[in-house]
Formats: sequence, structure tokens, C-alpha cells
Amino acid sequence: MSFEPVVLFFVLGVAAGLLRSDLKIPGAIYEALSIYILLAIGLKGGVELAKYPIGDLIGKGLIIVAVGALIPLVAFPILRYLGRMSRADSASIAAHYGSVSVVTFSVGITLLGQEMVDYEGYLIVFLVLLEMPALVIGVILARYGAGSVRWGKLLHEVFFGKSIYLLAGGLVIGYFAGPEGIKPLDKVFFDLFKGVLALFLLEMGLVASLRIAALREYGAFLAGFAVFMPILSAILGTVTGWALGLSVGGTFLLATLFASASYIAAPAAMRIAVPEANPALSIGASLGMTFPFNIFLGIPIYLWMSRFIHGG
Amino acid sequence: MPVQSMLLLTILTEAVLEDTLIDEIVDLGARGYTITDARGRGTHGVRSGKWTVGGNIRIEVVGDAALCARIVERLQSGYEKDYGLLMFTTPVELQN
Repeated sequence: MSFEPVVLFFVLGVAAGLLRSDLKIPGAIYEALSIYILLAIGLKGGVELAKYPIGDLIGKGLIIVAVGALIPLVAFPILRYLGRMSRADSASIAAHYGSVSVVTFSVGITLLGQEMVDYEGYLIVFLVLLEMPALVIGVILARYGAGSVRWGKLLHEVFFGKSIYLLAGGLVIGYFAGPEGIKPLDKVFFDLFKGVLALFLLEMGLVASLRIAALREYGAFLAGFAVFMPILSAILGTVTGWALGLSVGGTFLLATLFASASYIAAPAAMRIAVPEANPALSIGASLGMTFPFNIFLGIPIYLWMSRFIHGG
Repeated sequence: MPVQSMLLLTILTEAVLEDTLIDEIVDLGARGYTITDARGRGTHGVRSGKWTVGGNIRIEVVGDAALCARIVERLQSGYEKDYGLLMFTTPVELQN
């Protein structure tokens, strides 16, 4: 099975948290690392996007966004009726799973690099496009028939929150700079990427170690959901990617995107839009369970699924 | 200028509310405020400050009793139910 050693930094972080080491990544450094990762991924996507005629991508894009929007709609009834969770909690968790994780996606890209598998670089655009429908659907599910929403605040958070803002900004800059124009920035944004990702995973491990303990309190259902849901979404992504004629690498990345759950943009947006939902549940599931599952087991499984459906 | 007796209103709450609460406080007539990042533990568990959504802020406003009462009332009705929120006042003597 394919394995990407960078995920071991996550283990190092989790162990430090569980063993109560005094290791701590200062908040300002964490902020800087996340800004770097978002910009680097955005730039990479923009450069790749410049290689394709945009008109050809619109049809595929609409299908991918429409299928992606199904994820929260499938997750919600599972949580609400099978898990008997409150409407607000079900909707908030559904939004987290419909939304995507940049770091999970980055681990997927580094694995493809290591395995030397090509992929459609424009898929990075969907890191931006899949975020909004999931969050909006989550809020509508939470508010259906009752209560008011601070739509203004929510939409501001969705579009101008730092993750979407930096990703989209990087995409635009990369698109206009093109492969040649971006060369002077290569060393910082592309060559160093994996090292920065390793540091970021270390910090995520530290944070996740606190969340794993919290998840234990909420029982087996949520833990099961946090593993079952990404697999279901990945199957949806694999079939969609294959049907749209994506390559093995592209199909794998789409499955990884669908399988990933947000733990940066969605928590902030949901805290504002659906304040009565308990953030410990959604972040516990997405960061404490789904994220580690995806980077250790999910990603190798999704690559295998993509190879399988392409008959290789 | 004589020493003025005022109230210092301290609000401890979740970092995600920063922009929203500042709008409210200014809207209610506060002329200034000070914000610092905070962490700690309360009825909403440990707020470690290690994650954007897990961080707290401390908002401080100096004003007369009427202003502080308006702010407390607005925040209580709008935010206390769903967010971690602690407010208290201390008498202060403004020196300049």
C-alpha cells in the first residue's frame, strides 16, 4: 500500500499532546504556516489552470459541484435519524463533511508526486468551489422552517475568510503569472512545500490530540460516522471522476476532496451561522477522527479505488 | 482635569465573535475598546487558543454606568445562550 512519510509528523504531534510534552507551536507561526500552504496550493492550481481552456472545464465543474453538494444532503439524514442528533448539530456536521480540507488534499498531492502519477492540476479549483455550497446547505438544513440567519456575516466569512480568500487569490495570481512568470517564486512556494506541510502536520497532531479525547465522550456513533462518511464520499468521487474521464490521479484527487472534512473554514462559519450547534462534536469528528483516518488509511485506499475503477 | 469615576467593563468571549461584538459595542455608543487574545477554562471547557475557533478574546470598554448596562443587556439577549460569555464591571478612576 502507498504511504507518504510526511504523515508521520502528525503522529509526532499527537504523541507530544498525549504525553503532555511542552512542545507548542506559537500561534503566529501556525498562522504563517497556514497562509503559506493556502497560497502555495492556490498558486499551483492557478498555474495548472492556465494550461487548460476554461470553457471546456465549465461543464465538468458544474457536475463536480452538483455531486459534491449531495454529500451534506446525504450526511444530514444519517446524523439526524440514525444518530438521533439535534437538527443544528446534524446540519453543522453535514456542512463540515460537505466542505473540504486543504491539508488532506495536499497530502494526496504529495503522495501522487511520490508515486509519480499525473493528475489534472485544475482540480485544485474545487478546493474553493466545493466550500461554499456545503456551508450554505448546512445553514439551510439547520434553519429549515425556523429561526433567522446572519446571512451577511456568514457569506462574508465564506468568501473573505482567510482560507478561501488566500486560495482564490493564489489561483488568480498563478493563472495570470503562468508557468514562466511563477518561476522566480518556485523555490519558496513549491520546493519548500513539503517541509512546511510537515511542520503544519506536527501542529495539527498537537491540536488533534486534544480533540480525540473529546470525541470519546460522544460515543461510537459519531466515531463510526467519521470513518464511514469519508469512504462513502470517496466512492461518490471515484465514480464521478471516472465518469467524467479524469485520469487515475485526477479521480483519486476528486475522491480525496469529497472524502475530506473541513476543520478550519467550516467551524468558523458554522459557529457564526448556527451557534446552537456544539462545535466540539463537529471538530472532534472532522479533526479528531476523519482527518487522521484520511491521511493514514483513506488516501491509500482511494488511490487503490481509482486504479481499480480504471482497470489497472 | 478632575479624576472621573467610570466603569471598566470586561467581556470574555469567543474569538469568532470579535467583529460582530465590536459592531454592537460601537453601535451602542462606546468611544473605544481594547481587545486582547485570551485563553483559559470555563463552563465551555478549556479554551486553549490553539485553534482559531478554540480561542478567546478579552474586550475592555471604559464608560459610564448607562453605556455598560446597555452593552451587557444587548450581549446577554443576543449571545449568552449559544456562546461562551462572561462579563463583569470594575469601578475605575480615569486619570487623563
